Amino acid sequence: MAKTYEITIDGKKCTCEHGEYIWDVAHRNGIKIPALCRHDAFGDHRACCRICLVEVEIKGRRKVVTSCVYPIECECDIYTKSEKVLEERSVVMALLAARSPESEKIQGMAKRMEADTGFERLIKLDNEKCILCGLCVQACNALGTGAISTVNRGTDKEVSTPYDKENISCIGCLSCANVCPTGSIAFEEDAESRTIWNKKFELVKCEKCGEVIGTKESYEFAKKDAKDDNDALVCDACKKKAIADELAATYRLA
Amino acid sequence: MAKTEKLLVCCGTGCIANGAYDVADALEAEIKSRGLDVNVELKVERTGCSGECEAGPIVRLMPRDTMYYKVKPKDAADIIDSLEGEAVQRLLYREGKGKDAKYFEHMQDNPFYAKQHKIVLKDVGVIDPLSLDAYKAVGGYEGLEKALKMTPDEIITEVEKSGLRGKGGAGFPTGRKWRTAAGYDNFPKYIVCNGDEGDPGAFMDGSTMEGSPHAVIEGMIIGALAIGAETGVLYIRDEYALARDHIQHAIDDAYKAGILGDSIMGTDHKLDLSIVRGGGAFVCGESTALMNSIEGKVGEPRPKYIRSVQSGLFEQPTVLNNVESLASIPTILRLGGDEYAKVGTEKSKGTKVFAMVGKVKHTGLVEVPMGTTLRTLIYDIGGGIIGDRPFKAIQTGGPSGGCIPEDLLDLPVDFDTLKEYGAMMGSGGMIVMDDRSCMVEVARYYIDFLCEESCGKCTPCREGLRQMRAILTDICEGRGKEGDIELLERLGHTLEDASLCALGRTAPNPVLTTIKFFRDEYEAHIKEHRCPAGVCAALTSFKIDADKCTGCGLCSRSCPTDAISGEKKEAHVIDTSKCIACGSCREACNFDAIMTEGR
Ligand SMILES: Cc1cc2nc3c(=O)[nH]c(=O)nc-3n(C[C@H](O)[C@H](O)[C@H](O)COP(=O)(O)O)c2cc1C
Ligand code: SF4
Ligand code: FES
Repeated sequence: MAKTYEITIDGKKCTCEHGEYIWDVAHRNGIKIPALCRHDAFGDHRACCRICLVEVEIKGRRKVVTSCVYPIECECDIYTKSEKVLEERSVVMALLAARSPESEKIQGMAKRMEADTGFERLIKLDNEKCILCGLCVQACNALGTGAISTVNRGTDKEVSTPYDKENISCIGCLSCANVCPTGSIAFEEDAESRTIWNKKFELVKCEKCGEVIGTKESYEFAKKDAKDDNDALVCDACKKKAIADELAATYRLA
Repeated sequence: MAKTEKLLVCCGTGCIANGAYDVADALEAEIKSRGLDVNVELKVERTGCSGECEAGPIVRLMPRDTMYYKVKPKDAADIIDSLEGEAVQRLLYREGKGKDAKYFEHMQDNPFYAKQHKIVLKDVGVIDPLSLDAYKAVGGYEGLEKALKMTPDEIITEVEKSGLRGKGGAGFPTGRKWRTAAGYDNFPKYIVCNGDEGDPGAFMDGSTMEGSPHAVIEGMIIGALAIGAETGVLYIRDEYALARDHIQHAIDDAYKAGILGDSIMGTDHKLDLSIVRGGGAFVCGESTALMNSIEGKVGEPRPKYIRSVQSGLFEQPTVLNNVESLASIPTILRLGGDEYAKVGTEKSKGTKVFAMVGKVKHTGLVEVPMGTTLRTLIYDIGGGIIGDRPFKAIQTGGPSGGCIPEDLLDLPVDFDTLKEYGAMMGSGGMIVMDDRSCMVEVARYYIDFLCEESCGKCTPCREGLRQMRAILTDICEGRGKEGDIELLERLGHTLEDASLCALGRTAPNPVLTTIKFFRDEYEAHIKEHRCPAGVCAALTSFKIDADKCTGCGLCSRSCPTDAISGEKKEAHVIDTSKCIACGSCREACNFDAIMTEGR
């Protein structure tokens, strides 16, 4: 069994296992720490937004760490609201707010964290929502498509397909857009098609009910994944209904 | 008189750029055309960098040890004549001008070398880097031979005794790093040499790899024995083509000689070495970004709070060491750790190589004992400031180092002292600045570099640097505002704590140290709209001091916009409506007659 430790978070006694991340332990104990680039769907976190920072005190020495990836490996005291944490978190928040002026979520967070005053001097980017948390890239990689990545470095970094061109790997599944915390991934959709990352996809509909299932590519990708060789284009709801009908029929016969 | 047996022509990158190959060819041709004197064996040996790059190409006559500087192919005949007689004075190292000039014929009298202490660079510029025999003749691979008779624990103990600390910047004790890695029972393990050297202006590691490639390889083999690695990688900066060639040549020779491969010097130990070309970004020198880059991933630092010695390359135990650290190892094994520890200070042992550039008379590569003061480096070794202008600051530690003012010049340079003042020794880049450097502009320059070179992954570094660059540019261009200094400090402190890797955490150093030591200069820009150094064009106007001007006309010829007029031998004037405040006239004037003031 893993070693356990008695630690304190903001004075509250908590128990945790060796190697657990501070953020996870705090949340289990009802202590909220903001997070933007951390998502429960993924085991690895990119630790790039740096909004989750806290102070850890070990044997009298304090240091600032990012709670989402900091593993607890000894008894320690954690401070999620010390003066230093609040100051640095508000600077990070103000930097994100200046980067993403168009994101309501980020602007709201900045207001709540009082990072909207005292930073008027910071230049705002034009028309930007993306905070470069990288969750979209993680989602795309987790699916196994790997169609988007971060490109360029330094202040020019952005998320895109290679060379901004349409990418054959993209299946138009919208996982990236759905996971994005700021809604910054643009896509267009009409009754017949969907356009995302400079690529236009044909939408397929359920042969039974006529509901849009998704893009042809994402439907085929999912089918390949499930090793399903049924050729009929049927949505999940209709599939379930078909199974239920079949069961009912079997029952009645029996 | 001793017979001249060798002519050493420095063929480091700097000297090659200055035409060293042509000089070597001219000397060879001259020797041939005269027909060799039977008693004198002449050899033009191509060596690595001798250190004094701006004075190259350098030719050294051995063993009489005459050093000639700035040699041109047309000097070949005079040099060959001097083999049997007087040295060619015009090619000697000179201090002072005209009647007061002093000439130095031998390396050891030359003040540039006299205060140096060479361990890493001892063979650089002396032996032919492409010859394994030449390396062996100066004690090469003796350290390895000793190590092969020792246990890993004994090797590590020797390195611990030496007190060697990592010279890539962080100063982590090498022995301790090796001991931790040796303690993991998880194979395979890797040893990696960091030859990325991304600091602009630095060429310590490049010169070492070019000039003494076997020393780096020997260091790696000893490290591999100590930790139990059988695979090693040299990660070499993409631009370093010559260093890569020399390292590859040395690796090939070492394989042929049975020093690398399946049986190191006939023992059961194995090691394979290969070269990986750098990813071309400054951040790729950071340990975890470097490992990502070797693995073929994006060169971004890893967020994990886990050390590479436990989980590094391909998540296996990995020792990453800098070129200079590894090149110190053979000497430590050969002479013993205690011997090495005699050099340097209490907490920083041995020597450090610096690449000194900027407004200092003698620029180049120097190796000094740890603890040497900045003043010794600048004035005794560097010969002082060009034109004997006032010294203003020295930037140490690369782009994310700090600027140190005059009153701290007596500080010893070691791993810990400079840090107390917000600067750092870093990997060894040093840029000397005179009174005509604007410290705000210097800070802006480095932040601009870091904006491009940051990987851009984490918020504080990417966005913080973007904002700092904008504020600094505003200050330099006359749009500085009350409160800017405080905001820069606030951003700087957050970057120090909240950034993901050491690039972001040290990036504010140039800003924070210039604010700390030159705050009045920032204030002059913001409050008085004046650049005290006369550098920031938007805040500077140029005027000619009529009392000092001799009417020589140098300024008017240097002016790109023809803004300066005046009769010969009479004071000139600048037409401010045409002047673009580029400062060319001030650089050109020999009489200090160009004055600057605010706008
Ligand atoms: C942004 C950044 C760039 C770095 N570049 C280099 C480099 O070019 N060469 C180097 O040896 N170390 C560099 N380092 C330091 C390495 O991360 C690492 O500490 C070093 O290679 C370890 O070797 P040492 O212990 O022998 O010094 C860099 C660190 C950072 C944060
Ligand atoms: S501190 Fe800078 S270089 Fe380091 S991970 Fe963050 S963005 Fe990249
Ligand atoms: S949530 Fe921890 S760094 Fe983003």
